[in-house]
Amino acid sequence: MGVDTILTDGIIPAPVRRRPEALLQVEQLSIDIATRDANVRLVDNVSFGIGRGERVALVGESGSGKSVTAQALMRLNSRVKLSGRVNFDGKDLLSLSPSQMAAMRGQRMGMVFQDPMSSLDPLMTIGDQVAETLRIRGISKRNARQRALDVLDELKVERAAERLDSFPHEFSGGMRQRVVLAMALVGEPDLLIADEPTTALDVRVQERVLDLLDEISRRRSLAVLLITHDMGIVAGFADRVMVMYSGRIVEENEATLLFAEPQHPYTRGLLEAVPRADVTVDRLRSIPGAPPVPAARPSGCTFHPRCDRAMAICSSVEPGEAITPSGARVRCHLYGAG
Amino acid sequence: MAYLRLISQRLVMTVLTLWGLATLVFIMIKLIPGDEAQVAAGPGANPEQVASVAKRLGLDLPVLQQYLNFLLRMLRGDLGTSVVSSKPVLTELAAVLPSTIELMIFASIIGTLIAFPMALVAASYRGKAFDGIARIVAVTGGAMPAFWLALMLQFFFGNVWRITPISGQHSFGIASPNVTGMPTLDALLAGDIPAFLDALAYLILPAFVFAIPFAAQVFRLLRASLLGVLASDMMLPVRAKGASTSRMVLRHALPNSLLPTVSLMGVLVGGMVGGAILVETVFARRGVGSFLANSVALKDTYAVLGAVMFVGIAVCLVNLVADIITLMLDPRIRGTQFGAGAK
Repeated sequence: MGVDTILTDGIIPAPVRRRPEALLQVEQLSIDIATRDANVRLVDNVSFGIGRGERVALVGESGSGKSVTAQALMRLNSRVKLSGRVNFDGKDLLSLSPSQMAAMRGQRMGMVFQDPMSSLDPLMTIGDQVAETLRIRGISKRNARQRALDVLDELKVERAAERLDSFPHEFSGGMRQRVVLAMALVGEPDLLIADEPTTALDVRVQERVLDLLDEISRRRSLAVLLITHDMGIVAGFADRVMVMYSGRIVEENEATLLFAEPQHPYTRGLLEAVPRADVTVDRLRSIPGAPPVPAARPSGCTFHPRCDRAMAICSSVEPGEAITPSGARVRCHLYGAG
Repeated sequence: MAYLRLISQRLVMTVLTLWGLATLVFIMIKLIPGDEAQVAAGPGANPEQVASVAKRLGLDLPVLQQYLNFLLRMLRGDLGTSVVSSKPVLTELAAVLPSTIELMIFASIIGTLIAFPMALVAASYRGKAFDGIARIVAVTGGAMPAFWLALMLQFFFGNVWRITPISGQHSFGIASPNVTGMPTLDALLAGDIPAFLDALAYLILPAFVFAIPFAAQVFRLLRASLLGVLASDMMLPVRAKGASTSRMVLRHALPNSLLPTVSLMGVLVGGMVGGAILVETVFARRGVGSFLANSVALKDTYAVLGAVMFVGIAVCLVNLVADIITLMLDPRIRGTQFGAGAK
């Protein structure tokens, strides 16, 4: 961490800063998977950044490529081919050796997964699983255990000291997700990638887990990349939102602006599908059709077959990126720049 | 409590299996051609002798009564009397059993020492050269018939290369005092290292006949379950912690793969008791298998049926032990009883 980082962090309070110093800079990341007969592009030329302490949401339907993108940032999936650049704190992660990459995981970047029921080893105690992140780095058993306990306390796991030696099956879903969070947070990473962390939980537990995440990310000024299909949980959490459709980011903006003035017809569709307390509608709108599979994407703008504002050009020319007056980065022919 | 309930369930199942086996053996006795009293009295017995044997065995009673008496005798551990030696079958079996146990234990150890490292390395480097070679070796090893394998081992190691003895249990004159009935253990107890090595040399070929197919099957199951665990959702968070492949395999995949593997090993060790008939005969070793084979050759019906019953009991017990180990390995079943500190 350089001197200017400390200065920036010290002088400008988090809520005010518009563009914090970049922690993660993804440039033209493409993800391909080789199937038996063809190379399929799962994610196409995605670029985005995450600042220190910034909370960014990556939103999209299932199959849009958001989880693949998330795993690519930590190079977790060895079956896909990654191209482009993923700069993390000045290092290009894609050019690191496997052991250098392993050293980044858990220490600089942590990840939480969708299903807390299947994310834990049923045969290892909670304490050992949380402490494992530290044990891998050669921290002594006793210190690792103490820090595991501290994190579990921080995550408000009741009677954490007694439960270090419990096994996952003795925990409820919400408690297990806290354990999974603790495994990701105990190494004190700068970036937490949360892949649908609350999808498998019921609504009230969802809220509590998100509140905890919110609290911890503020306290530790931890950057969070929240991956979700649920616009409802994005609103209260994220500083910035990226909307992904069929392997591309189609819109990106500050969260408040994106919710107030969604630009891309797909973003609008997503927002209209979410029930809102402040607006009464007769019927929630849904986007007709289903997202395309990566192997058979439509030509031009991949969203055009489902778009209610599609024009002639949309089926033939892929829209480039445009910046709208509201500050959104958007890929849509409605906003000029082709 | 779930743990104790499951163990008692297994116990009940074992008892039921043994009851079924005893019934089967009883039916076999009844189905044997010829007069049972004549068989029991032995060939060349005169009619008076046959009649007295029939009276002594209770063959004049109704069949149901005979069946109950038979079950009661089994409960007391009375497996009948050998016609040839006129000693209780149980006594004769007890004398040869340690030698068979020695062979099985040694074979399981060798098989495990081959299978586990192979599976761990193969799963860590899935699809690489070692994995491919190991899989071919495993299929070959599993496909070799035991009698052929035994003869080939004898031919090459005992005859062509002269590394090991061909058959028997120890060289002339260096047998240690019989304490346990296991030549290797007896030699160790006597503190006689040369005798121990000698007994070990005799043990190694028959042990490999068991160990090779054992290792082949254990390797295949263990490799498959290691890969299954490595591909499961559970491993992504472990990888995201920064764990190395060896850590993922040894600390997470292996413990989770032990459950099915131990069950299989139980079944395979149980099967060895049956396989002992062939191996002990080929290698001229004392044991339950060669006892059974000899009894068949001598038409010693009660000895054969007693040994069959005995082998059945041994298989059931080995499986029971494997089941209990499997239960103990799983904290979800073991519950809080052995778990430290929880609640």
